[in-house]
Amino acid sequence: MTDQPAIVLEHVDKWFGTFQALKDVSLEVAEREVVVVIGPSGSGKSTLIRCINRLEEHDAGRIVVHGIELTQDLRDIQSVRRETGMVFQQFNLFPHLSVLDNITLAPRRVRHLPRKEAEAQATELLEQVRIPEQADKYPGQLSGGQQQRVAIARALAMRPKAMLFDEPTSALDPEMINEVLDSMKDLARGGMTMIVVTHEMGFAREVADRVVFMADGQIVEAGTPEHFFTDAQEPRTKLFLSQIL
Amino acid sequence: MTPARIWLRRNLFRTRFDSAVTVAVGLLVAYTLFRLVRFVLVTGRWEVVRVNLKLLLVGRYPNVHLPRVAVALVVAAAVGGVVAGMVRRHQAAAGTAEHRSQGLGRRAAGLLGRFWPVLVGIGLLLGLSGTAGPWLTAVGFIGAAVAGRIAGEHLPARLDPLLILVALATPFGLVAYVADGAGWEDWGGVLLNVFLALASMVLCFPLGVLAALGRRSTLPIVRGLSTIYIELLRGMPLFVLLLMANVALGFFVPPDLSPGKVVRAIVVFTLFTGAYLAEIVRGGLQSLPPGQEEAAKALGMSPVSTTFLIVLPQALRNVIPAQVGQLISLFKDTTLAGAAMGLFDLLDVGQVITRQGDFAGQRLTPEAYAFVALLFWLGSYTMSRESQRIERKLGVGER
Repeated sequence: MTDQPAIVLEHVDKWFGTFQALKDVSLEVAEREVVVVIGPSGSGKSTLIRCINRLEEHDAGRIVVHGIELTQDLRDIQSVRRETGMVFQQFNLFPHLSVLDNITLAPRRVRHLPRKEAEAQATELLEQVRIPEQADKYPGQLSGGQQQRVAIARALAMRPKAMLFDEPTSALDPEMINEVLDSMKDLARGGMTMIVVTHEMGFAREVADRVVFMADGQIVEAGTPEHFFTDAQEPRTKLFLSQIL
Repeated sequence: MTPARIWLRRNLFRTRFDSAVTVAVGLLVAYTLFRLVRFVLVTGRWEVVRVNLKLLLVGRYPNVHLPRVAVALVVAAAVGGVVAGMVRRHQAAAGTAEHRSQGLGRRAAGLLGRFWPVLVGIGLLLGLSGTAGPWLTAVGFIGAAVAGRIAGEHLPARLDPLLILVALATPFGLVAYVADGAGWEDWGGVLLNVFLALASMVLCFPLGVLAALGRRSTLPIVRGLSTIYIELLRGMPLFVLLLMANVALGFFVPPDLSPGKVVRAIVVFTLFTGAYLAEIVRGGLQSLPPGQEEAAKALGMSPVSTTFLIVLPQALRNVIPAQVGQLISLFKDTTLAGAAMGLFDLLDVGQVITRQGDFAGQRLTPEAYAFVALLFWLGSYTMSRESQRIERKLGVGER
């Protein structure tokens, strides 16, 4: 493995109409690193990770994912998306497909895996997120926590090199948050490169290699969890931490 | 008090006013029913329908070739049965089949409940017809459907691709076979209405879906063309379009190159219904949360597979009622082809038979129109019920 960082953002700007969502954002994420992004709502956290797999197109700056720069080239975009898994706040499972089909669809269509292999892999992944018994159900029959774990399994089925989590526990009932966080901790321990947008400070403390604080479309401060939660420098960070802790 | 009495009290006789309304409406309904039954059984002079049954069903299709129509019906029933059996087998394998009630009586009752409009139609035609042909056809039709259904369920899965090919080719084969007896320009009666409707349905559906996708496209030319097509066709009365196809086409196309009336009618029905379907499908597309497309994109799926595997299956299912409504509309609107283009369709036959020979001047239009309306109702109602069934089946796992 080279020392080349997994994900690089250099001076990225993003506008929605006249509103600037990202202002000169630069970030490097190393292989196997877990970065947790926190910040008030509307600070650009989601936009940041949605730019990394081109769900949003950035307007200026460079984004390089595993050595591939995101440009207008559709094939590059597709290959970045293949290598980067994403988990959404609203799960976004496909309601018309069974759990098994949700997980096997992309590997079969995009990676051209034979059905047997894709299903064996899906079964394995469902065991990994601890819901092997739900394979034949439909998303609508599962609890929110179970759905989100299926969504994690679905993203992992593409064998991504990095995973993006966009507030994965924000839509969950409190008692289901931990089951999802546990699956994410397993992943982090397994050495997955991860960028996690979340409000779960416990998770950030325990799992993150680095915590990034964003406000008004800018990265205000970043550091290791110990440093970040005990010794924040910027007034905005202090204010935010005082509000949530 | 018995449950029945409680129900009556609660729903029909709760207050004095309720009771009065119940009695008044009850009398009105009873009187209407009485008049209706009397019309059907006593005062109606159904001779005009009985004598002209062949005209009403197939128009001037030559008698010698009538067996072709019968054979086509039987083959269609057999293939339809095989496909239904095949679907059933797949549902059983996937575990999504409805639980089958064990008793034979139960199953028979279920089938009767599902197909009674069809059976009423068949019974009616048999009761009116005096010859053996329709009886043979009916027996063959039902027998073929049942046999096909059983065969389809037990055929090995490796034959499925072949079966699907056969099922897709059958309609074309049958149309060619029946048209070999007399070209479709000479078809009439129900046969013509059903042919116009089915052909237009098959063609307008993909057109509607494409136009709906086109209207949402990011490519300006595609979007513009789709929008122009939809708004232009929806902005004109169907009747005017049919008249234009009948008359105005002659100004633009030399007579020996211009297509026959039936083809023109199909083109008009297809374009017209396609435009309406496009807007219905667009509604279905907009009912999907954007997260669905985003999730597919994030998995690296191509736009084409995202559209066909994720977006359309959900969007189309969400608007089944509106789509079927449009198709039922199309079926009934085929009567306009008779009036606008001089085609010998069911309604046209119904009008002609009251004016000819012994029946002229006898004021038999109520009988003729009632029969025409009943046939359309049986067809439309069957479509409506089957669509509700499909909706229920596709709803598996949604709740």
